[in-house]
Amino acid sequence: MLVKTFPRGGGHIPHRKDATQNKPVMVMPAPKQAIIPLSQHAGAPCQPIVKVGDQVKLGQKIGEAEKYISAPVHASVSGQVVEIGERTLLDGTKAMCVIIENDGLDEAEAAVQQDYTRLSSSQIAQLIKEAGIVGLGGAGFPTHVKVEPPKPIDTVLINGAECEPYLTCDHRLMIEQPHKLIEGLKILMQAVGASQGIIGVEVNKPDAIRVLEQACAEQSYIRVVGLKVKYPQGAEKQLIKAALGREVPSGGLPAEVGCIVQNVQTAIAVADAVVRGIGLYQRVITVAGAAVYDPRNVLVRIGTPIQEVIDFCGGMGNPAAIVAGGPMTGKLVQDLTAPVTKPLSGILVLAKDEISYELNHPCIRCARCIDHCPMGLQPNYLADWSNKGLYDQAQRNYIMDCIECGLCSFVCPAQRGLCRSIQAGKQAVRAGKTAI
Amino acid sequence: MNTKEQLWAPVIRAKDTIPQIMFDVVLALLPCWLAGIIFFGFPAFWIVLLSAVTAALVEALFMRYPWRPKGLIGDGSSLVTGLLVGLILPPTVPWWIPIVGSVLAITIGKLVFGGLGNNIFNPALVGRAILLLAFTAPMVKYVRPFDAVTEATPLLTMRSFDWALVWGNVSGSIGETSVVAILIGAVYLLFRRVIDWRIPVGYVATAFAVAYIWGLDPWVAVTAGGLLFAAVYMATDMVTSPVNPMGRLLFGCGCGVLTILLRKYTSFPEGVTFAILTMNALVPLLDMLTVPVIFGARRSREQRFAATIAVAVVICLAWGVLAVINQTVPEEVPVTAEGVYLPLMETLGTDAYETETINDKVYYFTGTREAPEKVALVGSEQGYHGPIYFYLVLDGSGKIEHIQILTHSDDPGLGSLVTRRSFLDQFIGLDTAELTMDVDIQGITGATISSRAVIRGVTNELERFQDAFYGSGAADAGAGYVDGVYVAEASGFGGPVKVEVSIDNGQIAAVMVLAHGETPGISDEALKVMPQRIAAANSTDVDLVSGATLTSKAIVAAVDKALAQAVPTEATGAAAEPGGMASNVPDGVYRGRGAGFNGDVVVDVTVAGGKITAIEVVEYADTPFYAQAAFAQLIPEIIEQQGLVDTRSGATFSSKGLLQAVEAALSGAAAPVGQGLASDLPDGVYRGKGAGFTGDVVVDVTVAGGKITAIEVVEHADTPFYAQAAFAKLIPEIIEQQGLVDTSSGATFSSKGLLEAVEAALTGKEAQ
Repeated sequence: MLVKTFPRGGGHIPHRKDATQNKPVMVMPAPKQAIIPLSQHAGAPCQPIVKVGDQVKLGQKIGEAEKYISAPVHASVSGQVVEIGERTLLDGTKAMCVIIENDGLDEAEAAVQQDYTRLSSSQIAQLIKEAGIVGLGGAGFPTHVKVEPPKPIDTVLINGAECEPYLTCDHRLMIEQPHKLIEGLKILMQAVGASQGIIGVEVNKPDAIRVLEQACAEQSYIRVVGLKVKYPQGAEKQLIKAALGREVPSGGLPAEVGCIVQNVQTAIAVADAVVRGIGLYQRVITVAGAAVYDPRNVLVRIGTPIQEVIDFCGGMGNPAAIVAGGPMTGKLVQDLTAPVTKPLSGILVLAKDEISYELNHPCIRCARCIDHCPMGLQPNYLADWSNKGLYDQAQRNYIMDCIECGLCSFVCPAQRGLCRSIQAGKQAVRAGKTAI
Repeated sequence: MNTKEQLWAPVIRAKDTIPQIMFDVVLALLPCWLAGIIFFGFPAFWIVLLSAVTAALVEALFMRYPWRPKGLIGDGSSLVTGLLVGLILPPTVPWWIPIVGSVLAITIGKLVFGGLGNNIFNPALVGRAILLLAFTAPMVKYVRPFDAVTEATPLLTMRSFDWALVWGNVSGSIGETSVVAILIGAVYLLFRRVIDWRIPVGYVATAFAVAYIWGLDPWVAVTAGGLLFAAVYMATDMVTSPVNPMGRLLFGCGCGVLTILLRKYTSFPEGVTFAILTMNALVPLLDMLTVPVIFGARRSREQRFAATIAVAVVICLAWGVLAVINQTVPEEVPVTAEGVYLPLMETLGTDAYETETINDKVYYFTGTREAPEKVALVGSEQGYHGPIYFYLVLDGSGKIEHIQILTHSDDPGLGSLVTRRSFLDQFIGLDTAELTMDVDIQGITGATISSRAVIRGVTNELERFQDAFYGSGAADAGAGYVDGVYVAEASGFGGPVKVEVSIDNGQIAAVMVLAHGETPGISDEALKVMPQRIAAANSTDVDLVSGATLTSKAIVAAVDKALAQAVPTEATGAAAEPGGMASNVPDGVYRGRGAGFNGDVVVDVTVAGGKITAIEVVEYADTPFYAQAAFAQLIPEIIEQQGLVDTRSGATFSSKGLLQAVEAALSGAAAPVGQGLASDLPDGVYRGKGAGFTGDVVVDVTVAGGKITAIEVVEHADTPFYAQAAFAKLIPEIIEQQGLVDTSSGATFSSKGLLEAVEAALTGKEAQ
């Protein structure tokens, strides 16, 4: 197989996927109490459409998206709404949540089965929106927005790179539900009118590639592309460059080069939503790290507190850090009562010897950040300007093109927090702290 | 930002940290250090150790607590700087040089800028630059590997590639000589990705190309001196090199061009230090100009057009600058013989030399055909296995100023010993038509045939030179004048013209106009040319300068008057100008000794007519490159001024040594060489008496043929242990020098007694 990759920058980082990549997904029991944040996605929060005391069914919509770039939320358990109030989320911020007391019945709403081939683009988009599907790779961008692109699309790319260390949930789903994945891909292709579908998988998952190639053998317009093991192979722009050779223009969207990219779990969720009428109320996450006793991939209801997920995986011994998401781009978990949300791909319970601190020694201008930056930026200077508040200069030098992959911080021998500084700089630019 | 430990994504990090990188560099430097120790012995070990420890200690004192290992080493960067400072020093430097160098490197080179990561210039090179300017002499005193004989850097001596440059058994700085060791370190650093290939490759490739274009041997250019070491370890210093890939390549190329440029056109034989420091200063500019195009962005057509124009302009400018340089500095087509570069410019002191073929032989000379100042030629003679080609530089009178073996096919290790300076330096200053081995020149044991061939070849060339330039007739045309300096005047156009005529070997050696009242502009040509013509022709029967006939005639008349004084019938020195250092010294050759940088400088001062007419350096131990230049400049000045002159900067010690030696020679501490104490005495045995420590010393001095042939101590009352040692040492010296010598320390009284006795014996002038 021809192994493809993006040409510029990138680097090799440890995999640490051995503990979970061969373990089938386990279904975790529903929590006693589900905490469902009303904002689990990029864009505007949705508004609650239930009141305290209401009985809700499994999969029932409880929050309505009023803005275009937003997504509704659904009940992940059946039972009674006991509170609508603020709760701490994974990243330590507070947000409005609907708290549902589980009655243990899992009484579901009547599902509507449909033949997607008869649906129009807008109908599919509507179904995707109603199911509350957002990008499940980590960004949480509402999927219905992506399937109504402003430009003609010829290719739908499924991102099966899963280049972050530890995470194996997409890997397991590609092996366990290849047909559902391909079904989701076909629905997405129909929705955007694409003529080809590509599933990009890093070649360190040969079993997934084999299974997918078998599954799509009969569809000539769908193919599996092996990707070189190089971080960040799963970053949207890098994936498009690797698989298609197309370069998304600076500041542009993938649609400008005629393609959209969806995560593996998103495609599966699309299939569930469109064909089976199931809303997005559960997802598969990887629980890993040396400090968790029984690392595994679990199918978990949205709204389950992190503590319960960890307990389900055998509990933890003396962790040095708990990270929501991958170790490169994830966030440190501040509060173990925080619930699982839609974009959460993993919970890493890391021991002392697995992590490395930001020490901020002086920059020795080794330029490794520049050599490794997949976007061709100068992270050392961007971070420096951000720290000094020179946001104009940072913006002129394309700080907004940073994809926040964290590779600059990873390779920095001075262990500087380059990516963190750049994130802060981007926020400042977004907040309009520039003269431009 | 603060340095407190923080956890933030990414929570995992690469293993390479700053200490790890510094450790890698230290590791990569060890082969160079080891090579230095092998070639230059233990001094190389101590110098580098001293510099490394000093650097670590200085930084620790300023930044941390030095009394814990971790505090002393810190991130390891100071250790790297210290090692580099040591490795780029010559192995002969005194112990305090590495210490001063490291202190300067760490403080001025690094800490004043804010420590690691903030310095603009490479700290080690800052240290070296200051040392180089402040302590030039020890910083350029290189020695040959293994035997520690002083030798100039191969940049000055080698013109063609030699495998010794690769192994590193050539003179040079401790870590810079061995190409093999440097490459081992380079491969390791590249493998560990500590350095980027663009800088060393850009550096070496550009230097190679530029050297080739400028007619230097490119292989020598990149393997000799510190270029390769600098390309691998100094230019690649992360802190002081550009961050963008294209910038790094340009940085390397810039270093390469500047290094060769500085080597070729400045007085520094090595250009690496200032080339890299200059490029260091350009790093922010390079960083700004070479910002990479980011992912997803393309240069617009206008930008590409502008970039193309900019590149074209830069190329045109560079070309223009090179053209201007080549025009101002006349293009030098390297003159080679037998494929070996002839250092004509270096040895003749100018590139404005004439090239002429006389009697089928090519001579390169300065001055005029009639009165050459310096003449260079290539000679050859059959050696043991084949011809030995040598390069010879003579002064106007045929005295050897420089000799060097170009090629030979004799056995390495035996025949090749004739290329050693210790052998060749014996020729310097000789002008005898017949050189005899083991009399004039000490041959090399084991290479007798090769030695003899060189001597024979040189003798032949000296004869051919005399024939070619002075012909057989010129040699005795004006003979008969008495050596000395004569002054006379005759009236010219605007008043009396006063000239000084120096007679050497019975011929007019020089004519100088001392004073005149002639019209400036009109008479300039005559005042300049006439003395040269007269001296060249050894006669006043020369063409006059048209347009300045009166002045010309006045000079001729004055010289004629001066020569009239020099006719043998007149008393010698009658008109010699009084007042000079040697005015009261009788004619003769005097030997004196002064302290140079590495050892004594011994000179023979020739006095004729109360004037110093020639000074010949018989022996010296200083670096030839510096010392010779100093001597070449000083000696004419001393002769001209008839007194001591200012020392020459850059070779102060050698200059002082020379002046001291001249003074010693003339102050009467030594006796005339050719004209010994006993020169006027008839053969016989003379007895004399002197006062020793406890009684008289009585000697018998045997004189034969006007020379002291034997001295016998007849009687003395001093402690035998001291006195006898002193006598044993002094007597041969007296016989050798044919005069009184310095006393032997430790037995001063006995020595004085002996000398007194010898003097008494010979001044008594009565043979027994």
